[in-house]
Amino acid sequence: MVDVGMTYPNGKVALADVNVEIPNGDFVFLVGPSGAGKSTFIRLLIREQVPTTGSVRVAGRDLVRMRRRQVPALRRRIGIVFQDFRLLPSKTVAENVAFALDVTGAPRSHIRQRVPQLLSLVGLQDHAHHLPTQLSGGEQQRTAIARALVHAPTILIADEPTGNLDPVTSWEIIQLLIQINELGTTVLMATHNQEIVNAMRRRVLALEGGHLVRDEAAAAYEREY
Amino acid sequence: MPFARFIGFSIVRAWQGFWRNAMMSLAATATVILMLVLLSGLLIVIAGLNSGLEFIESKVAVTAQLQDDLPEADRIELIADVETQPGVASVAYVSPEEAMERLRASYREAGEELDTGGAEIRLFASLEINLVDPNASGDVGEFLATHDDVVRVLTKQAEYDTLLGIINVIRTVGLVGIGLVGLTVLFMIINTIRIAVYSRAGEIEIMRLVGASDSFIRWPFILEGVLCGLIGAIVTIVLVAIVWDPIQPAMVTIFQMPTAVSARFLTTLSVVLLAAGLGVGALGSWISVRSYLSATH
Repeated sequence: MVDVGMTYPNGKVALADVNVEIPNGDFVFLVGPSGAGKSTFIRLLIREQVPTTGSVRVAGRDLVRMRRRQVPALRRRIGIVFQDFRLLPSKTVAENVAFALDVTGAPRSHIRQRVPQLLSLVGLQDHAHHLPTQLSGGEQQRTAIARALVHAPTILIADEPTGNLDPVTSWEIIQLLIQINELGTTVLMATHNQEIVNAMRRRVLALEGGHLVRDEAAAAYEREY
Repeated sequence: MPFARFIGFSIVRAWQGFWRNAMMSLAATATVILMLVLLSGLLIVIAGLNSGLEFIESKVAVTAQLQDDLPEADRIELIADVETQPGVASVAYVSPEEAMERLRASYREAGEELDTGGAEIRLFASLEINLVDPNASGDVGEFLATHDDVVRVLTKQAEYDTLLGIINVIRTVGLVGIGLVGLTVLFMIINTIRIAVYSRAGEIEIMRLVGASDSFIRWPFILEGVLCGLIGAIVTIVLVAIVWDPIQPAMVTIFQMPTAVSARFLTTLSVVLLAAGLGVGALGSWISVRSYLSATH
């Protein structure tokens, strides 16, 4: 992101003068209080919104100049998971993962091969035919992660992925994200979880009032002096 | 292959969507049937009247009543004159005796006997003139009217004009009525598809996040609307085919003329019904999906 600013039509400044570069393969935390601009930051990365100033490049693509019909191809390069999982309640674990391939027109043979791979990566091979309601929160988030990885994205964005989970389960999810990062996927995780950020000692981007107030490698949740 | 996958995906999703909200889908389909039944009725009546019109055109176009006791030589001369008129196909002489016999025959056809009460009735002798071009009836009529040997000229023009007027009124009223019903149907389909779209807002959001293209999101809904139109059209075609034979004599009775429509018209009508059903379904769902997708993007 170069000189990125985002002002909403109602005049609210969500981001101002943000300059960030995230190299391939990084594991980055995005922290900050509610309303600091984390959600806008993520929306710009997946081109749900276009910045009012500055430029955003993701996976070599200029998102400001990107045409609307090119957006789906970008989204297949980016996996995204949310605090509330966003699974389809009427579909099983395997169907939820397969859905992401189905709606992008992937051949059935590819789907049959890819879904079990991903389920075993996230440790859900025995739950393939369960419905989301039959799963724990952690298992639901693993399903969402498997779905996010279905197109082998270069970037995985996790928006408060542990927000609804207990500490033990949260750690299991973090372990999974680290594992995915080690396989070469860039991971950007927005979080309020101080404990995890402090324990991990990874790069931290801190937003406050729309400004990037801190960008430190191997950092903690709060500024350390 | 990817296109086949896309088509298969869209059709399956449209079918599932149709039955997921079956009440609403079937209500929309019912309005499509209503519209198409009205449309069929209108088209059949118009086609019937048109064939009646053709029948009138094909009948003796001009009849000229002749002076009583016109000498045969004059009559032959007159016939020769008329035959040279432009647009005239043939001229036939009907003697008073033949005219009387025709009158008796028409009574017999109606199941009655002509009763003259013993009086001697003498009918006019006349010329029956067939035309090559029905539009020539005006000119031929005028020529005959100025001739001394002719008492009165009868053309089918007035009858023709009346029927044409009726057809035009029916066509206008019918089309306005069907237009209004069509708008209602369009509104029903827009609403049905809107409800379907909103009930799957979560799915649509996920589809966008995982990189589904707009066509994968849009077409299942459009096909769902098309399905309402398709089912409506098929049901209507079956209904029309069932009542086809019984309504032919009924139309003849109602309109008092040969209105029989050829069976080939049934094929044409089916094509029109399919096109109208599919068209209104596609248009309604297209409007609905387009407004939703552009509002949420």
